[in-house]
Amino acid sequence: MADVDVVVVGAGPAGSTAATVLARAGHSVILLERGPFPGSKNMYGGVVYPRILDQLHPEWWEDAPIQRWVTRRSTMVLTDDQALTVDFRSEKWGRPPYNGATAFRPDWDSWLASKAQAAGATLVCSTTATGLLRERGRVVGVTTDRPEGDLRADVVIACDGVNSFLAKDAGLYGEVDAANYTVGVKETLGLPKEVIDERFAVRGREGVDIEILGGTGGVNGGAFLYTNFDTLAVGCVLKLPALAAQELRPEAIIAGLKRHPAIAPLVEGGDVAEYSAHVIPEAGLAMMPKMTGDGILVAGDAAAMCLAAGIWLEGVNFAMASGIYAGEAAAEALAAGDPSAAGLAGYERRLEDTFVLRDHRKLRRAPGLVLSDRVQHLYPEMIANTVERMFRVDNPAPKPGLRAIFNSERKRAGIKLADLARDARDGLRSFG
Amino acid sequence: MRITVCWKWVAVDGADPDDRWAGVSPADEAALETALTLAGNGGEVTVVTVGATGSDAGLRRATAVGATHVIRVDGEGLGARDVARAIAPIARGSDYVLCGDYSLDRGTGAVPAYLAAELGAAQALGLVGVDRTRVPLRVVRRLDGGRREILDVPTPAVLSVEGAVARLRRAGLAETLSASTATIEVVAGPRPAEHDVVVTPYRPRARMLPPPSGGTLARVRDILDIGAAPAHGDAVTLDPPEAAQRIIDQLREWRYLPRDTA
Amino acid sequence: MTWKDVVETTRETEQWPERSFEDLIGSTRFDVHERAHIVVDDTVCRDCPSRECIVACPAKLFVPTSDGGILFNYEQCFECGTCYLVCNNEGAITWTYPEGGHGVVFKLT
Repeated sequence: MADVDVVVVGAGPAGSTAATVLARAGHSVILLERGPFPGSKNMYGGVVYPRILDQLHPEWWEDAPIQRWVTRRSTMVLTDDQALTVDFRSEKWGRPPYNGATAFRPDWDSWLASKAQAAGATLVCSTTATGLLRERGRVVGVTTDRPEGDLRADVVIACDGVNSFLAKDAGLYGEVDAANYTVGVKETLGLPKEVIDERFAVRGREGVDIEILGGTGGVNGGAFLYTNFDTLAVGCVLKLPALAAQELRPEAIIAGLKRHPAIAPLVEGGDVAEYSAHVIPEAGLAMMPKMTGDGILVAGDAAAMCLAAGIWLEGVNFAMASGIYAGEAAAEALAAGDPSAAGLAGYERRLEDTFVLRDHRKLRRAPGLVLSDRVQHLYPEMIANTVERMFRVDNPAPKPGLRAIFNSERKRAGIKLADLARDARDGLRSFG
Repeated sequence: MRITVCWKWVAVDGADPDDRWAGVSPADEAALETALTLAGNGGEVTVVTVGATGSDAGLRRATAVGATHVIRVDGEGLGARDVARAIAPIARGSDYVLCGDYSLDRGTGAVPAYLAAELGAAQALGLVGVDRTRVPLRVVRRLDGGRREILDVPTPAVLSVEGAVARLRRAGLAETLSASTATIEVVAGPRPAEHDVVVTPYRPRARMLPPPSGGTLARVRDILDIGAAPAHGDAVTLDPPEAAQRIIDQLREWRYLPRDTA
Repeated sequence: MTWKDVVETTRETEQWPERSFEDLIGSTRFDVHERAHIVVDDTVCRDCPSRECIVACPAKLFVPTSDGGILFNYEQCFECGTCYLVCNNEGAITWTYPEGGHGVVFKLT
C-alpha cells in the first residue's frame, strides 16, 4: 500500500513543476528536499529563461523573484590581451513576456516550490533520499535518511540533480564518464546598484549577460559575467578532465579572469559575497540516461538536460519543462492505473515532441565542438588577431584584403583548412 | 514529569531576516533533547516560543521530534523581562523549565533568570552536563576560569544548557509529515514595554584591566593572568656562546631541561 | 605610451588585496554535520600518481601530506561531485550527500 501517489525527489525547478502539475491533477504528492529549503544546494551560471512557465503560472513575472531582466546579451572572445565582443540589446526583453532573467536559485527554487505547495503538494525539507524501494523489479518508493524513513509511492520522479544517485540506483545510467561533465565555479561580488548600472550601461531592472570564450587559463571551458541587482556573478565552467590535468585551481582561474584588462574594470571593488560551485552535465544527448523505468521517471539535471551549446547555455528551462512533462505523464499513468514503464511512456513522447529533446537532438554535436581543443585554444587567437589586423591602420602600408589576413592568421595558428571546414560544417549543422 | 522548553527562533543572518535561514541555537536544541530524555515515556514536554508566524516552522520541528505540546506567544521585539512574563503562565506548574544558554542572535541571556524570578523557582544556568539518573537532578555548571560547580537541583527549577549537552534527535519521516500540517496553538503576547532592556547585537565582554604599569613582561603577565609574582632576574652581558650556556644552565636549574643533558 | 603599457601599469598599481582561500570560502555558509559524507581510502591514494582531486576540487578539500598520503576535509564541501568524478581510482573516494538539512547552504547564487 503506497503512502502517497507520487514522491518527487528534489525541490529544484524540475521537481517543483512536476509536483505542481500532479497536485493540480488531484494526486497526493510529497516533494522531498535534502537542503534546509529549496534551492539551498543549487547553483548555476545565473540566467533563467522562464517562458515555459506561461502554461503553468500565467504572468509568472508578476511575482517571480528575479534579480534583473537580461536586456543586453554579449558574447566575448578573450585572448591574453585582446577581447572581441558581439553585443546585442533589446528593449523588448525588458517588458512582458520578457526573455531571460538573472536570479538566485535559493530564491527561484523556493518560489517555484511554494507554487507546488499552494497547489497542494507536501514539501518536506532536510530529508535526503538515500535509495529506491523495489518490489519485483519495480520501483515502489524511496528510502530516506530519517528514522523510519521509507516512503512508498506509485510513481517516483527523480529530480535529484546532476549526481542523481536514484537514476544510477535504478540502473538508468550507463557508465559515468568524467569527460561528460564540467564544473561551474563562481564568485558573487557585491557592488552598489548604481555602480553596476553605470559600468554595464543599464537602468532599473535591466541586466547584462556576458558569455566568454577564453579567460579560463587554458582549461577547456568558458567564462561568464552576469549582473544581479546589487551583485555581479563572475565565474567559469571547466571541463573536468582538462581541469584535473593541469596546475591551476578553479579559484586561481577566476582570479585570473577578474584581472583580465577587459573584465577588471567591470568587477573592480566587488566584495565576495558568496563563493560557490556545482557540477554540470555538459555532454547533452550523448550522456542522457534512460528517462523511464517501472515506477520511475527522471527529469532535470538528473536526466542530464543542461544545454551547453556555446551561444545557448540553458538548463533551468529544460528542467522546468521536463518536470511539467514528467508530472503530466505520471498523472496519465496513475489515471490509467499503470505506473509501469509502458504506462509512463507519455513522458518520453512529450520530451521528443517538444524543445526538450528536439533542441538536444539538433545540438547534439555542439557541446563537443564548443569544448574541442581547436575552438578552445586556436580559434580565439585566430579570430582576435584577424580583427586586430582588420582595424589596425598600418600606414604607409596599404590595407590588406580580409581574406588575406584571415588566411595568414589561420596558418599562423596552425589550423588546417580541412579541420576548419569540418568544424564549420558541424557548426552549421548544429546552429544553422 | 512536566517540562517546559523555551526556544528562540531567529533569522540567522541578522542583517538579512528571512525564514529560510532561520532556526534555533544548538543550545536551544540541546534544551529540548535534555527535556525529552528527562521526561521519558509518559512525561509531558511543552515547547514555547515568543515570536511571529515564522517561528511556527521551529515549533513544527519540535512536534516532529516528540514535544507533547507547542505554543507560540505572538510577539516581536520584546525585552527579556517581557518574554519571561509571557512564558511564565505557560511554564507554571512544570517540574523543570529548560532554556538554551544562548540564542542564535546572542541576546542578553537574561530570560532564564527573569523566568526563575517570575516562577519563584530555583535556577541553575549555563549547564554543561545533566545527570538524569540522580534524584534530585544533578547538574554541572560552568564557572569562570574553567572551574565547574556540581549542583543538586530541587523542583521547580529553571535550567539553561549549553549546546554540547545533547544533540537533538532526528525527527522520523511520518512525524515530520504529520507535524507539517499540525495546528500551532497561538496565545496573545504582551506589548513591548518601553523601560525594558534593549537587546543589542552580541559583543564579547571586554576585560577590565588597570592601566599599564611596569614593563612589558608585567603587562603580559597581567593580561595572561599568571599571577602577581614579581619578575625576578638579573641583567648580564655575555658573548653569544656564554649567553647560550647561561640560558641552558638556568633552564636546567628550573627543571625545564633534564640535568644529565650534555 | 602604448595601450599595452597602460594595461601593464594599471595592473601593477592597481590594488588587488591578497585574499586567502579561507576568506573566499568563508563567504559561503555551511551547516556542518558530525558525520563525514566523504571518505577517502588513503592507501589507494598513496599509489596514485595523478591526484586529480587536489587541483580540481573547488572547495580545496584534498591536500597532499608530506608522507605521500592525502588529507581530506568534508566540512566546507559544495557537494558538487567533482572529486569522485575526476578520481581515477576505484574505491578511493566514497561520496554521499550529507544528512538532510546539513552541508552547504547557498544564498546568492
